[in-house]
Amino acid sequence: MKQSVVKIDNLVKRYGELVALDHFSLDIHEGEIFGLLGPNGSGKTTTINCLLSLLSFDKGDIQIFGRKMTPTSYDIKQQIGVIMQNVAVFDELTVAENIDYFCGLYITDPVKRRQYTEEAVQFVGLEDFLRFRPKKLSGGLLRRLNIACGIAHKPRLIILDEPTVAVDPQSRNRILEGIAALNRSGATVIYTSHYMEEVEQLCTRIAIMDKGKKIAEGTKDELKRMIRNTETVTIEILALADDIRAEIAALPHIYDTAYDGSRLTVFCSGGKHNLIRILHVLQEHSVSFGRVYSELPTLNDVFLEITGKALRDKGD
Amino acid sequence: MPVFKAYLKVLRRKSPSALIYLTVFLAIAVVMTLNDRPDAVYQDTRINVCIFDEDQTDASRAFCDLIAEKHKTVPLENDRDILLDALYYERVSFVLTVRKGFSERLAAGETDGLFESLHLHETYGTVLMTQFLDEFAGTVTAYEACGMPLPDAVSHAGSALTAETKVRTVTFDRNRSGILPQQTAFYFRYLPYILICVLMNTLSPVLLAMMRQDIRYRTNCSGLRQSACTAQIFAGCAVNFIAVWLFFMVAGCLFHGEIFRGYVWIAVLNSLIFSLFSTALAILTATFRPSPQIINIITQVVSLGMCFLCGIFVEQSMLGSGVLKAARFLPAYWYIRVNQMLDGTEPFRGSGIAAALCIEAGFAVVTALLAALIRHLRYNEAAYKTTLLPAKQ
Repeated sequence: MKQSVVKIDNLVKRYGELVALDHFSLDIHEGEIFGLLGPNGSGKTTTINCLLSLLSFDKGDIQIFGRKMTPTSYDIKQQIGVIMQNVAVFDELTVAENIDYFCGLYITDPVKRRQYTEEAVQFVGLEDFLRFRPKKLSGGLLRRLNIACGIAHKPRLIILDEPTVAVDPQSRNRILEGIAALNRSGATVIYTSHYMEEVEQLCTRIAIMDKGKKIAEGTKDELKRMIRNTETVTIEILALADDIRAEIAALPHIYDTAYDGSRLTVFCSGGKHNLIRILHVLQEHSVSFGRVYSELPTLNDVFLEITGKALRDKGD
Repeated sequence: MPVFKAYLKVLRRKSPSALIYLTVFLAIAVVMTLNDRPDAVYQDTRINVCIFDEDQTDASRAFCDLIAEKHKTVPLENDRDILLDALYYERVSFVLTVRKGFSERLAAGETDGLFESLHLHETYGTVLMTQFLDEFAGTVTAYEACGMPLPDAVSHAGSALTAETKVRTVTFDRNRSGILPQQTAFYFRYLPYILICVLMNTLSPVLLAMMRQDIRYRTNCSGLRQSACTAQIFAGCAVNFIAVWLFFMVAGCLFHGEIFRGYVWIAVLNSLIFSLFSTALAILTATFRPSPQIINIITQVVSLGMCFLCGIFVEQSMLGSGVLKAARFLPAYWYIRVNQMLDGTEPFRGSGIAAALCIEAGFAVVTALLAALIRHLRYNEAAYKTTLLPAKQ
C-alpha cells in the first residue's frame, strides 16, 4: 500500500449557521491524481483552504505527509504547490518575474531558482511571453502562468483548485496534459473541478462532494459500479406503439424506458448485448428507426442517481 | 528576500506618477531659487508714453511734467504713420495729445475735450492711463470749484495723484534674523506637501499590490514565514521612505548648499520625522485597500488640507485662531512651528522645538499603530470568511 500523503479526518467547518464541511474525511495516497468533484458550493474550495491552513476549522484533523498541518507548518508548506482558482499573480511584474517570485518563496538558492523558473516556463510553454505583463496575456496563457507559479519549485503535492475555469479547449487540453506529466514525474495531485469530463479523464481516484459531505469515493469504474445504470441506449423513432415499448421494457437487464415522440431512451442495468436485443424487437415489428446511440454511464449519472440532481449547474 | 525584491520591482513600475510630483517640485524650487532677488521692492507700473502739447501753457506743461514723472516719455515725430508704427511695435503704449484750449477748458471747469489719445488695444497700462487722465481732470476741476486758481489746482492735483500707496509685504519678511537662512527655510516649509504626495503615490500603490488578497493567500501557502514576509514588506517601505527623504535632502543641498550647516540639522530632523508620519499615513491608507484613483484623491485632500490649515501656504501668523486651534491636531502644524522657530518668525526655544518634534513623532507613531490595528482586524479570518462566501466555492 502506498504512503498516505493527505489524510483528512472528520473535518467540520461552519460559516455561522451554514455547515460548509460536514464530517468530511479523505485519504489520498502518494502518486495519485485525486479528483474532488462537486457542484458550486459543495465545499471543494473550503476543503482546500482548510488543507492549506488558510482557514481554521471547527472539528477534525488534517495530516499531510504524515504530520499534522497547522498554519506554521512551514516545512510541510515548503513541499506543496498551490494553483488557486483565481489567477494570483502580480500585474506589475513580467511573466518571468512572477514565476521567479513565487519560486523564490520556496527556493532560496538563486542558481537553482533560475533553473527551476526556466523549467517551469518551458513546462507551460510561455517561452515567447517572458517579458509580457499578465494584462497582455490571454485567459489561457494567464492560467498557464498561474500553474507555472504554483509548480516551479517542484512540489511533492500539487493542489489545483479549478484551474481550467474560463479556459479555451486548446489551453484546457494543454493544462490537463501538463498535470498528467507532473504526476508522472512523481507529484501527488489534488484536483478540484465541477467539470466531470476533466476529472474522469485525469483522476485515478475521485471523491464526489455535495453540501459539504462526501457522497461517494473510488476510481471512476468503482463509482460507476455503485449505480444501477450500466448503459443508456437512445434510438430515434418517429412512431412507437405502447405494446412494442412494453415488450422492450420487459427484456432482461432493462429497468426503465422513456419515449418523447421522437426518441426512445432505454436504461440498462448490467448484461451484455442489450442494444442487439432492443434492435431485434424493433425489426420484428418492422419499426423504422434512425440513429442509434449507446452510452456508458458518466459521473453525472452517478451524481444524479445518488443525489437526485444533476452535477453540472445550468450554464456551466 | 523574494518579497523585498518584488516590492522594489513593483515600486519601479509604480514610480512614474511620483516622478511627476518630483519634477514639478524641483522645477518650482529651481525657478524660485533663480528668481530670488533680495532687493526687489514694490513699485507702480510705468508705461511708455508719447506726449504732444498743443496748448503750450503753464498748466499744460505742468501736466506734461506730471506724466513724465509717473511714466516714461518717448519723443516721436507727430506723424500718424510713425505713431501707429511705434504703437504696433510697442515702442510706446499710449500717445497723448494735450489739445489746444486745455487751460481754458480746465479753467471753465470742463473735463471733456482736454486730450486726444491713440492706443492700439486695451492693455492694463492704457486702461491705467485713461483712468489717470479722468482722475486728473476731475481733481483739478474739484480744486477750482473750491476757489483755487488753475496753476495751484494743477500743482495740487499733481501732488495728490503722484502720492504713492504704501505697500507692506508681510509674507516674506527678509529682515528676519532666524538661525535658518531664509532660502533654506522656504525650501523646508513646502516639503510636507511634496513628501505626502510622493510617499502616498509610491508606498500606497505598491503596498496595495503586495497585499492583494489572492497574492497574500498564495504567499501564506508557501514555506516563507509570515513574520519574514511582513518584515520584508516593511524593509521595502523603509527603503522607499529613506530614498524619497534623502532625495529631497540632496536636492536641497544642491540648490542651497547650506542644508548641513549650523542648526539646519534641526530642520533636517524635522523633515525626517514628517517623512515618517507620511510613510505611516501611506501604510494606513493602503490597509483600506482603496483604488488608485481614491488614493490620489486622499493624497490631494490630506496634503492640500494640511498645507492650508497648518501654515504651509499661508503663514500661521495670518491664520485665524480657530483655524490654528484645529490645526494643532495635525502634524504639519508642529512641523511649521519648528520651521518658524528656526527662521526667526517665532523666538527660538530649544524646549519648544523638542516638544514640537515629539508631538510630530507622536502623530507618526499613532498613525502607524492605527494602521497595524486595522490591518490586524481586516486580515484576520473573520475578514476572510466574509470575502469567501460558500457560494463562490
